[in-house]
Amino acid sequence: MSTAYLSCAAKRLGQAVVVIVLAYLLTFVVVSILPGDPITSVLHDPQNGFTEAQITEIIAAQGLDKPILVQLWAALTHFLVGDLGLSMRSSRPVATLIAEVLPSTLVLASAGFLVALLLASTIAFGSQFVPRRFGQGVLRAFPSLFLSVPSFVIGLVLIHAFGFQLGLFRVIEPDSAWATFFASIALGIPISARIAEVLIANLDHEARQEYAAVARSRGLGPVQLFARHLLKPSSLPVVTVIALTIGELLGGSLITETVFGRTGIGSLVQRSASTHDLPVLQAVVSLAAVVFVLVNLVADLVYPLLDPRMKLIGSPTRRPTSADDGAPTPAVSG
Amino acid sequence: MTEDLPPLRLSRRRLTLAAALSPLAALPLPVLAATDPSAGVAHDGGDIVFLIDSLGSTWIPNNSAISSFQGHVWGHVTDKLVYVDADGKVSPWIAETWEQSGDATQFTLHLKGGVTFSDGTPLDASAVVANLDIWYAGRVKEGINPIGLFPKTYDHAEAVDATRVKVFFKAPTLGFIPTLGYHGSILVSPKTIASPTAQQADLAKTSGSGPFLVASWKEGDFVKLVKRKDYNWGPKAVGHTGPAHLDSITYKIVSEPSLRVSSVQSGQADIAYNASPQELKSLKDAGFSIRTPRYLGFVNGWALNTGLAPFNDVKVRQALQAGIDRQEIIDTVYTPDWKLATSFIQSNVPGATDHSGLLAYNPRRAEALLDQAGWTKGRGGIRTKDGKPLLLTLYSNPYLATSKSVDELIAQQLGRLGWKVDIRAYDVVTYDQKVRVGGPAVQAYEVTRSFIDAGTVASILTNANNGENWFALGESDKTLNELRDKIAAAGSVEVRNPLLDALQTYVLEQGYFIPRTQIVQRIYVQSPGLKGETYNGVAYASYYTATKSKSPA
Repeated sequence: MSTAYLSCAAKRLGQAVVVIVLAYLLTFVVVSILPGDPITSVLHDPQNGFTEAQITEIIAAQGLDKPILVQLWAALTHFLVGDLGLSMRSSRPVATLIAEVLPSTLVLASAGFLVALLLASTIAFGSQFVPRRFGQGVLRAFPSLFLSVPSFVIGLVLIHAFGFQLGLFRVIEPDSAWATFFASIALGIPISARIAEVLIANLDHEARQEYAAVARSRGLGPVQLFARHLLKPSSLPVVTVIALTIGELLGGSLITETVFGRTGIGSLVQRSASTHDLPVLQAVVSLAAVVFVLVNLVADLVYPLLDPRMKLIGSPTRRPTSADDGAPTPAVSG
Repeated sequence: MTEDLPPLRLSRRRLTLAAALSPLAALPLPVLAATDPSAGVAHDGGDIVFLIDSLGSTWIPNNSAISSFQGHVWGHVTDKLVYVDADGKVSPWIAETWEQSGDATQFTLHLKGGVTFSDGTPLDASAVVANLDIWYAGRVKEGINPIGLFPKTYDHAEAVDATRVKVFFKAPTLGFIPTLGYHGSILVSPKTIASPTAQQADLAKTSGSGPFLVASWKEGDFVKLVKRKDYNWGPKAVGHTGPAHLDSITYKIVSEPSLRVSSVQSGQADIAYNASPQELKSLKDAGFSIRTPRYLGFVNGWALNTGLAPFNDVKVRQALQAGIDRQEIIDTVYTPDWKLATSFIQSNVPGATDHSGLLAYNPRRAEALLDQAGWTKGRGGIRTKDGKPLLLTLYSNPYLATSKSVDELIAQQLGRLGWKVDIRAYDVVTYDQKVRVGGPAVQAYEVTRSFIDAGTVASILTNANNGENWFALGESDKTLNELRDKIAAAGSVEVRNPLLDALQTYVLEQGYFIPRTQIVQRIYVQSPGLKGETYNGVAYASYYTATKSKSPA
């Protein structure tokens, strides 16, 4: 690996750390501005019957009345050495809480991602090769349709049809295989729409290129043309979309998790946000920042594999060897 | 938690059907009710699933025992010193007998022998002392709160021998024994009490002496309890003292109310908690058991802030008292399972007396009172005085799901009499911040509060002895103060009851408290095969005594 590559990687890593710390600070600021915290909230539950004086006393005893900056400094010094602290809501270690819910989210996110990829490539393939009279237009309308149906509607319909009516899964066992399958469909459908849209646009663009016409004139069938020539150049922008989507899969599965009653990161965020549980929110936001940074890093590393012209970035000594005059920009979606 | 539920029956036929129906999935499908009226005979064993909207936040026993959600789990995992039934009757449980001094400042509890916590520690006098101490004081610095309604007159307790505890109070505390049956007063092992906060927050590490043990749990998801086989110290009042009949109870969080009910309808769960009142009639017709137990406590209603206009005028308060058609609330928002308020405390509280006459709907009287108070009808039918409209701002109580619907109905009723009613609905966190009883902008605070002993009521109403000053009267109302002091000093129920009656009459006549309906904060929809559960004084269902009929395979 060249020194240029290494220094580039180091720079990106430095940026990543800055992004994560900024995300942590921003969460602190946003949540601190909002009135209320879980401890005070529990104390105010009318069933408890605490008086205002008692509540003030308890808050003071726990140091919650200290200035914001003092609290922030205490939290930040712990965070930087990897101590995520205790949840204010449940008094349990934040790391334990995240470890408890992470597997469920990872399973759902990967299954949803697979569903999205499969659906998107099927639709994209169909958009090129299904004859117009057999409904190519309908197929091309699918992404817009998928995007316009909210995932919770898809989720509820799936639950009623397959859970209650056909009894394929029990709603109260959201982690069973069938329940996970249907949840991943609900999650995957809207995400597939975005991937499919970009993929279709790029396939259209590539199919109009001269090299495609040449390939066709030499007698290449639609499947070979798609697989050997069109797919690779069209996937480059898709990688960017996928990178953005993965972050969304982790955080944005909240609605799907709620509808299917799964206990994952989404439900943890929801519980913590509704009670302003600062330590948990900060940890989850930082985790999301880490995931975003990592995924985008991986996406950057994948570009050169898909398009050799990308290798020249960061190494000015090499020149492109392709025939078309060395334009380093990849095909952009139309 | 999934291992002992019946496996999914998959067949090719079902799959084909699923495939065939998938294009239809976009159509709304009615929910299939799979009830079976010919359910088999009751037997020992069985597993039940209880669907609940939330399981609260922390599991630190002191901080969670009073929760409407965690209270269900605590009721099965722990025992109490005394049992209080739905009518407020106190009977022995872990404390077999007790004596009190004539002035109700000293109590001696005689404990049942041979009771152990699930970690093996005996439930003896020293364990009870440890519990009394932490209920009273908590460990505030570590985030362990005191039990809010535990008598603040507590001085100390000492273990006389293994089965005798002596408890001392600074002042007469007639409510002490009933409070021991309150949901806050759960007995946990001294080892748990001594453990640090983060450990107490892990439910699996807490040991109680109850008929069920925590088998497993996941925050925000479920708690699974299994039967404790050597349990034989249940309260006699429920008619059973041996081990529970059921093998396990799973409390499972399903936040969507309709999903909870549909799951019970389709036979996937046994109990759905907090169904909406509108659904109850059709569920009852379909053969499901509907339970709407009332807890001992205040009725649902408003504590009026006498420090704010227009409620600084007794005539306006009385006009509001007479201007609400309470029967219409029950007919419109609720079902006949809800009861009309007869006082500002629930009618099942010992010491509650019937004051329906003071709560009758009388719009003419209300209008006359408002006229006398100088509020005259102006343009748009809204009454004004000195150019200001007769305004009532209501903050719907987020702890009661039906609160906003009731507010909306009352707004219509009052609108006809010339009130301008604004309704604000906040989420729990915002509500807790903005809406406080007697708060500077809160004219009417909506009360949802349980208590075990009516004696605590008087001390809440004013600000003496850490009271909550509900009506912002401070020490200004001499009659109220006198009643409060006499009730606090009463050494026996016979002395206290007439005083409580006088207090109820006075508070309602003055229009300090405006009752809406008797409160039902816990609604249970139960499958017909499950029978024999009991409801205690705080309206929690206990499945310790319940049996489940074997469903036909």
